[in-house]
Amino acid sequence: MSEHPSYLGVFRTFLRNSLVREMTFRSNFIIQCISSVSWTLMNVGFYLLIFSVAPGIKDWDKYEFFVFLATTMFVNSIVQTFFMPNAQEFSELIRRGGLDFALLKPIDTQFLISLQRTEWSSMSNFLAGAILLGVSLYHLIGRETDPLQVTPLMVILYVFYILCGVAILYSLMISLSATSIWLGRNQTLYNFWFYITNFSRYPMEIYQGTYGTPLRLLFTFVVPVLVVVNVPARILAKPFSPETGIDWALAGFAVVATIGSLVASRWIFRRALLSYRSASS
Amino acid sequence: MAAIIQIEGLAKSYRVYQKKEGLLASLSGLFHREYREVQAVRGIDLKVEQGEFVAFLGPNGAGKTTTLKLLSGVINPTSGSATVMGHVPWKRENAYRRRFALVMGQKNQLWWDLPAQESFRLHQQIYRIDPESFQRTMDELTDLLDVRRLLKQPVRELSLGERMKMELTAALLHSPEVLFLDEPTIGLDVIAQHNIQQFLKFYQEKRKITILLTSHYMKDVAALCKRVVIINHGRIQYDGSLTGIVDRFSGQKIVTLQFAEGHVIDRLERFGEVLEVQTPKAKLRIDRGQVAKALASILAKHTLEDIIVEDPPLEQVIADMFSQGSDDSPFGDPATTGEPIATVVNLPDAKND
Amino acid sequence: MDIVIGRAVTWWTILRIALEERLVYRGDFALGTLMRFLPIVTQVFLWFAIFQTAQAARGEDSLNDVTLVGYRYQDFVAYYLLTMISRAFSSMPGLASGIALQVREGEIKKYLVQPVDLIGFLLLTRIAHKAVYYIVAAVPFALVFFLCRGYFVSGWPPLGTFVCFVLSLVMSFLLGFFLEAAIGLVSFWFLEVSSLLFVYMLLNFFLSGHMFPLDIVPAPWDTLIDILPLKYLAYFPAAVFLEKIEGPDLVWGLWVEAAWLAFFIVLARFMYWRGVKRYSGFGG
Repeated sequence: MSEHPSYLGVFRTFLRNSLVREMTFRSNFIIQCISSVSWTLMNVGFYLLIFSVAPGIKDWDKYEFFVFLATTMFVNSIVQTFFMPNAQEFSELIRRGGLDFALLKPIDTQFLISLQRTEWSSMSNFLAGAILLGVSLYHLIGRETDPLQVTPLMVILYVFYILCGVAILYSLMISLSATSIWLGRNQTLYNFWFYITNFSRYPMEIYQGTYGTPLRLLFTFVVPVLVVVNVPARILAKPFSPETGIDWALAGFAVVATIGSLVASRWIFRRALLSYRSASS
Repeated sequence: MAAIIQIEGLAKSYRVYQKKEGLLASLSGLFHREYREVQAVRGIDLKVEQGEFVAFLGPNGAGKTTTLKLLSGVINPTSGSATVMGHVPWKRENAYRRRFALVMGQKNQLWWDLPAQESFRLHQQIYRIDPESFQRTMDELTDLLDVRRLLKQPVRELSLGERMKMELTAALLHSPEVLFLDEPTIGLDVIAQHNIQQFLKFYQEKRKITILLTSHYMKDVAALCKRVVIINHGRIQYDGSLTGIVDRFSGQKIVTLQFAEGHVIDRLERFGEVLEVQTPKAKLRIDRGQVAKALASILAKHTLEDIIVEDPPLEQVIADMFSQGSDDSPFGDPATTGEPIATVVNLPDAKND
Repeated sequence: MDIVIGRAVTWWTILRIALEERLVYRGDFALGTLMRFLPIVTQVFLWFAIFQTAQAARGEDSLNDVTLVGYRYQDFVAYYLLTMISRAFSSMPGLASGIALQVREGEIKKYLVQPVDLIGFLLLTRIAHKAVYYIVAAVPFALVFFLCRGYFVSGWPPLGTFVCFVLSLVMSFLLGFFLEAAIGLVSFWFLEVSSLLFVYMLLNFFLSGHMFPLDIVPAPWDTLIDILPLKYLAYFPAAVFLEKIEGPDLVWGLWVEAAWLAFFIVLARFMYWRGVKRYSGFGG
């Protein structure tokens, strides 16, 4: 027996167990899929309405923005599939003593706590996002003026930055859940989570002016939720135009922000555990 | 060889945050908090040798569970030291966590909606048990506990007793050398309790593992443990055999007399406290030192058909102990490990508490 | 006479208990209300960007000259703020699911045994909840509206319009209540109403107008919106306040809302009556 468990093997078992679990409640699974896709369709409908009366949102025209929206759907569906159910479970774990069991296991506690449940039904939004992305790219590549050219590098960077975005949101979520060790319940924290991530769903250029600029700086540099969708979406939707193209400094910062968020959330989680371990009976 | 569990001056106190209702109050609580200090364990010294089966007894809140959690490394102590198999538990090294297990009767770690088998697989991954020995251990345990046919049933559909058996199986899959059991039979019916006792007895004797058990059921303790540690108010108040408790803490015997004359003689109270008179029987409580003298003087004048001399019921003695037990312990120094005493005691039936 | 007084006392007691229960959580309430305005903040930025883009595309000099479906930028913000008020009246969190739960758990028996009527009881507790909510939420609402007063370009509407606005709000509360109560009462026939409730929420979210002014919706769909009662839950009061609906249209709108309200009152009553009959028929 080796010193460390096989993290990949454990993760695979998590995925498998969650799938078995969801398949035992199949009708529930289907309802969940339909419901999350419906909300997404509503959202798409909302923007279709906007673009029916307005020419664009800042420099994003209709299909460019739909690339943005599809990116949001990818990031959110990954977060909701892999992390959200665990974060929701966290305060329950503390209350019912499940955290004690997690601490006993010869495996990293944060890994165990934040990944053990998977909600496969949320992946339906990933599919919806893929369809939306496909349609949008088809229009962008086929348009008359300045057709989009997708290069392998763009695709690689796109995937990479989506993963960075997921990591940032994961860090934010695990930090918020960890505070429930101090604060007890976390209903308010959830609202907090939704309000904060709400900011990440729009192109960052819309935050401008007296109130907008400080908000943009806050959500870029302090709580970096704005780079989550903005960076990958811009890489794919409008990579090369000199004025509106990707700001490489921002892209570089996104990597720094990802690493910083992961480190910070790790630190917060450990602090919270430490205080759990010295404060509880 | 050093003892497998060594505890010195182990203490744990924690602050309970006096929570207030409402969000604003909670927010202000972030900056200004009111605490209450709770001393759960106030300095425990204990040595357990390899292969021992030790019971922790004590009323609720005495510090038993806290001690087990400290030894499992789930929580950090305020002061003192402990080693289990040479490891300091609260360092939480993987090497240590691989070698012991904790079972809590009131909490479950199996996935509620999944068959137990799937949770076992997860354990296999986490503890990195090789597939062969995993299969072998699982078969062995589930046969012993007679739950093999339930492996494919979702845990939520199992009875409490069956679930506990699965919890035990999960805990033993990685063949721990030290096992901590916190109220493993709580809430179970008599048969399930008995099954689990039998299993633990068998398994412990076969594998020679070291087990620490807390329980409210005297039957568990009587059936399993040669050594009993009584904890109250966070301190050890007794450490020895179960029967030794009576010898040590009860200075009296219960004497039942059955008279041949067909009636009970008068003025029995000069010998001791009269507990019950049911002609032709009488039950007295007599100081241990006076028993011989009293019997001699009764026998000198009356014919008796039967005499029973016995210790007071164990639960009674322990309950008396707990009700007296306070900071200034009336029991003196904790006793050292004692050998089981030869006298057979009528163990009281398990009370449902 | 005694019966009437006795009944009034009963109702008053229910109302008072519900009020006290709610007031305990006032701290959470006030802060929660303020937080609820946060999503609007992003909407405000979004629409500002949209108007800017439209202004550049149309070559207008000032943002104030740009209108989309008859709304200036300020009107959009004012509209969102006003729908917060309509939603505060018409949304009934937990009402339908609460009724369904009571039916499922058999708690409904209580109302069959005791001389209280379920719908009346729920309406009173709801009024109490809402009343407390308005008392506590008044401060954050007033704060936000004061800070945003610049967006209300036309200022206060004329008194007549304002009266109509208040009237439409009160009716939207009652309409929301009886509509959701009717959905909850479906549980007498189908125990699981959560899917139905989900469909309702989805339609409500999109077609009541709290995502966007309904004027934006193009041709075939606007008929659907006119047919459904959902627009009275968010859009209608806000549009009345902003004087988007005036004159005969306004009067007609109010009558239609009243008709919908009457319809759902009768429907809820009828469903309750049939449901109870069915329930006691089965013996619970």
